[in-house]
Amino acid sequence: MLVDLQGPWSPLFGRLTLASIPYSNPIIIFAFVFTALAGLAVVVPVLYYRKVGYIFREWLTSVDHKKIGVMYIILGLVMMFRGFVDGMMIRTQQVMADGPHSPGVMEAQHGYLPPSHFDQIYSSHGTLMILFAVTPILTGLGNIIVPLQIGARDMAFPTMNAISLWLTAVGAMLIMASLFIGDFSDAGWVGLTPLTELPYSPSVGVDYWMWAIQISSIGTTLNAINIITTIVGMRAPGMRWDRLPIFTWTTLSTNIIGLTAFPILGVALALLGADRYLGTHFYTAGLGGNLMLYTDLFWIWGHPEVYFLVLPSFGILSEVIATFSEKPLFGYITMVAATFAIAGISWAVWLHHFFTMGAGPWVNTFFSVATMLVGIPTGVKVFNWMFTMYRGRITYTTPMLWSVAALILLLVGGLTGVMLANPAIDYTVHNSVFVIAHFHCMVLLIAFTIFAAVIYWYPKVFGYKLDERNGTWFFATFTAGTAITFTAMFGLGFMGETRRLDYLYDPSWQPLLIVEELGIFVYVLSCYFFCRMFYVSIRDRNLNRCGADPWGTSRTLEWMTHSPVPFYNFAVTPHVNARDELAFRRSVGADETPPDHYEAIHMPKNTMIPVLIGVLAFGFGFGMVWRIWWMAGLSLLGIIALVIFRSFVHDHGYLLSGEDIARMEGKASQMSIMSETQDEMAMAEGVH
Amino acid sequence: MDAQVPRDGKLPPLWHYGHEGHDEISTKTLGFWLYMISDSLIFGGLFAAYGVLDQPMSFAGGPGPAQIMHPVAAFGQTLAVLTSVLAYSLGTLAMKTNNKAGVLLGIVGAMVLAVIFLGLEFNDFAVLYAHGATLQRSGFLAAFFILIATHGLHMMFGLLWMAVMLVQVGRYGLSKEIVMRLLNLRLFWQFQASVWVCVYIYVYLRGTFS
Amino acid sequence: MVNIKFLARLAALSPLLLLGACSGNDGFRLFHPVGPVASAEFHYTLISTGVMMLIIVPTTVLTCVFAYRYRKSANASYDPSWSHSLPLELLMWGVPLLIVVALAYFTYQSVFLVNPAGPESLNETPGMAMGSDPLQVDVVTTDWQWLFIYPGQKIATIDDLVVPAGRTVQFRLTSATVTNDFYIPQVAPMIDVMPGMRTLDAFRVDHTGTYEGFSADFSGAGFSWMQFATRIVSPDDFAKWVAQTQTAPSHLDYAGFQKLAQPTINEDAKPAYFSDVDPKLWDEVYTGVQQGAVYPVPKETQTKAPEAKMPNARPGSTS
Repeated sequence: MLVDLQGPWSPLFGRLTLASIPYSNPIIIFAFVFTALAGLAVVVPVLYYRKVGYIFREWLTSVDHKKIGVMYIILGLVMMFRGFVDGMMIRTQQVMADGPHSPGVMEAQHGYLPPSHFDQIYSSHGTLMILFAVTPILTGLGNIIVPLQIGARDMAFPTMNAISLWLTAVGAMLIMASLFIGDFSDAGWVGLTPLTELPYSPSVGVDYWMWAIQISSIGTTLNAINIITTIVGMRAPGMRWDRLPIFTWTTLSTNIIGLTAFPILGVALALLGADRYLGTHFYTAGLGGNLMLYTDLFWIWGHPEVYFLVLPSFGILSEVIATFSEKPLFGYITMVAATFAIAGISWAVWLHHFFTMGAGPWVNTFFSVATMLVGIPTGVKVFNWMFTMYRGRITYTTPMLWSVAALILLLVGGLTGVMLANPAIDYTVHNSVFVIAHFHCMVLLIAFTIFAAVIYWYPKVFGYKLDERNGTWFFATFTAGTAITFTAMFGLGFMGETRRLDYLYDPSWQPLLIVEELGIFVYVLSCYFFCRMFYVSIRDRNLNRCGADPWGTSRTLEWMTHSPVPFYNFAVTPHVNARDELAFRRSVGADETPPDHYEAIHMPKNTMIPVLIGVLAFGFGFGMVWRIWWMAGLSLLGIIALVIFRSFVHDHGYLLSGEDIARMEGKASQMSIMSETQDEMAMAEGVH
Repeated sequence: MDAQVPRDGKLPPLWHYGHEGHDEISTKTLGFWLYMISDSLIFGGLFAAYGVLDQPMSFAGGPGPAQIMHPVAAFGQTLAVLTSVLAYSLGTLAMKTNNKAGVLLGIVGAMVLAVIFLGLEFNDFAVLYAHGATLQRSGFLAAFFILIATHGLHMMFGLLWMAVMLVQVGRYGLSKEIVMRLLNLRLFWQFQASVWVCVYIYVYLRGTFS
Repeated sequence: MVNIKFLARLAALSPLLLLGACSGNDGFRLFHPVGPVASAEFHYTLISTGVMMLIIVPTTVLTCVFAYRYRKSANASYDPSWSHSLPLELLMWGVPLLIVVALAYFTYQSVFLVNPAGPESLNETPGMAMGSDPLQVDVVTTDWQWLFIYPGQKIATIDDLVVPAGRTVQFRLTSATVTNDFYIPQVAPMIDVMPGMRTLDAFRVDHTGTYEGFSADFSGAGFSWMQFATRIVSPDDFAKWVAQTQTAPSHLDYAGFQKLAQPTINEDAKPAYFSDVDPKLWDEVYTGVQQGAVYPVPKETQTKAPEAKMPNARPGSTS
């Protein structure tokens, strides 16, 4: 071994021993029981209704961009729930552990969580929410909607699309595994050095964090390649660049950021991996390392990353606001220009995350001004949304409610962001909960737009709308929880409370901490309404089947397919004549005109390769975390072998005849994304 | 909306039949270019790390660039990699005349020269290790070794890809799919040579004269 | 259907929770700066917020007005063809640009005034930086304590920073282990404390008082207990305190420091005092770390409560 490991290591099991399983920790036991029950709640019905083959055939091996997108979103929502539970635990610990006389239960001196456990919880909260909740959901939305918006049949690389999904899922599974076998990183989601070096983080926690991110980042980079190629090369005829829907434009700029920024994260983590596995001195304090190198590399990725998350949200806002104001988006060209301006400037601002590192007044001023410049195109977007609503006819469906609330959050977050951009102010609030409240405004606005998008596009994918009444209660409670919790948090920031404290020394913070905890209870209530919204909608789905344009005022191409979208998307590729093609066709009375005949189309075949690569990637990750070299090595060789094997397979698709399409179009109202593809084709032939 | 309904009242075309108009080879090659953009950023990050750690403080009392750079041997490596690209490119020229043997010969030539490149590199590393300039000695040496090794790793994956192409050209001839892969491999190989030239200039030449 | 305007009003009222900021001893430390540096920081906080409000308030109001006025049931004027306006675009880009130019000017001014390495707000006379006869304090952080060394007086303290009022205090900071953040809300500009590196900070407070300082950068299991008292005392009291500490029974040299720097959690932030301290101690720690000194944290701390496995090795204490 090239490094000094604390604890035993064996060739067969690496660092893994029975002691790695925290069976004496009651909280973990409870988490395990809950997770096991949740898992059983899924697995047992699948077994009982004999759906294993169906799941394998239709979902696990699927290369259909819509199914992959749905799986991304499900993964993201589940991880968002776990991230929310982590957040609840953080708030509860802090409200209990305020002041030197605050009580402590179980193994904790104050509160109910000992420091190391608390530190792991907020580290996983950040990592999960950013990389495994919001990113997969936005990726999934892009996956489903962008090919439909440009009139394509699928993504440019369907198999690679599935591989991206499974690599992201593997990252999430590694973090789940860290809950029950070993521990997670306690160094925050950023993982600053030298805290994450072996002497100061001797357990496997940082290794779990590192490999989960590395593996899922490969998935994100591959997905970026896929989407950019699709948008550039697979648009329907007539879909000129100035006719591209705004959500597709934002997805394009987002993925340019993803393609170029994620490799830097890969380098930052790989060099940390070299320190932890090979004993190098990239980031150590001694022997010539430079800990600031990690901070710089990480944040050179880190800042474009937040725009990677927020630009699709801006795209969603543009789509939803335009649709529900019954007006075209105001200032389309400047919106596109502003999007790319934001993406471009985002590369020049990273140092504002560490103004206090002592770069000196000139450097700090440069990055401060650059940071404030990003506010200009963002402001342009806000004004354009306002003017889209101006003299529109606004219907307050739940997506529109979420969007207007997101606008308000953007204004508050933007104000506090520009305050933080001034180093003089930052020297008083860096790493305080003021910063946490600021960025939670931004990520919550992303969450608001995610909920808007899911509700907005759900009928297109599943064929029925989500229940508006429960959706409105979900909106009201979630928004109230946000307002309560984070207003209090801004206050605590001005009181001098810093972040990542598992024990708070100042009892005068107690009142606002209690307010924050009340906010959490309101959030819990919102979870109930979220679940109820889905339950009622699915229960009553056959009563609420909708047509191609369920909202009635949609404007873009994806609303021209049936609801739910058939697995082949458009029966005939549309010819595009305008920006907001559907609105144009409606204005000339052609929105219901079907094609006069159907021709054969080539569809990709499902394949096992992506799922197998996922399984091997998990083996690789787990093996590397526990330093089980044979497991990691064989898994890696297996992945390479699979890729080479796949390159020898020639026939990747099948032909769908024009007659089959014609019949399926006729029975479109009886189809569903959940049914078996061959059942649909058989039904179309009248054989059932 | 920018569309106009034509004067005669007829609607503009609503549906498109026939071939979708996107060429599969150019689409897949675009994807490969995008991958190389991401790869170039990996090297960018590594060059940045090297630039940061190329300071006396990071030598930690050990050897600095002037002590470990062997620009002549590295020039030999440069010649090897450039002639490897030349060999491969000549092989792809043979595709124009459907000359399968020519293509195979080009690939084999490229592989041989790549092995020479890697051999020279391993030798260089062995000499450095014998003098105590190891990966763990200092931050500067870590950056040096990892940058060069990452490039070497890319070369090894290129070699593997070439071996697979030898088999595929042999079995399937010069089909559309095979031609596309050979062109992408050429792109990859030229890219690796370009990165090496940057390494040679920024690391070896700059280091020798520092 | 939920009334959006009502929700907006409710959210807008929630900042009233912060009205407690108006009184003096309300815990809103950042609104009560002491000393020229912190006052400059607060001054620019107000300016920056005020300038931003010029844009944010009208935009928020307009957004709420439009959201309310143009809802379908209100039957206001509807103009679906209006989606572009050059004059509006020029305003939209131009006004924020002017605001950013103004903020950039204020930023440039403020950054030099509060620069930790040499805040210009401390210049008592033009051309004389840092005031006359600053007090030099060397700071070392370990896992998880603050060591303040007074090289001129050859004394050192743990978790107790005592400085005279009216005199500039200059800091050299380094860490023996991982990155921390030197933070005394209301008093000093924050600066990172990094191993193998030297950062600088400075402040001056003209009135006596006691403040809380701690680390704002997460550093491990004992991080929450990294508090230190900051006592600004009169110059006479300071001289008395120095004389008294110079008679403290414990001494500190580099070897003693290496024992001190083993992972320790000082749960009550109990101070400790040392006399006859080597004035070069800070430099020795600094070079030691650069040469590879580490103080590894035991793996057990990552799974168990801190008091279970922490050696609490501090060589005695007096007050």
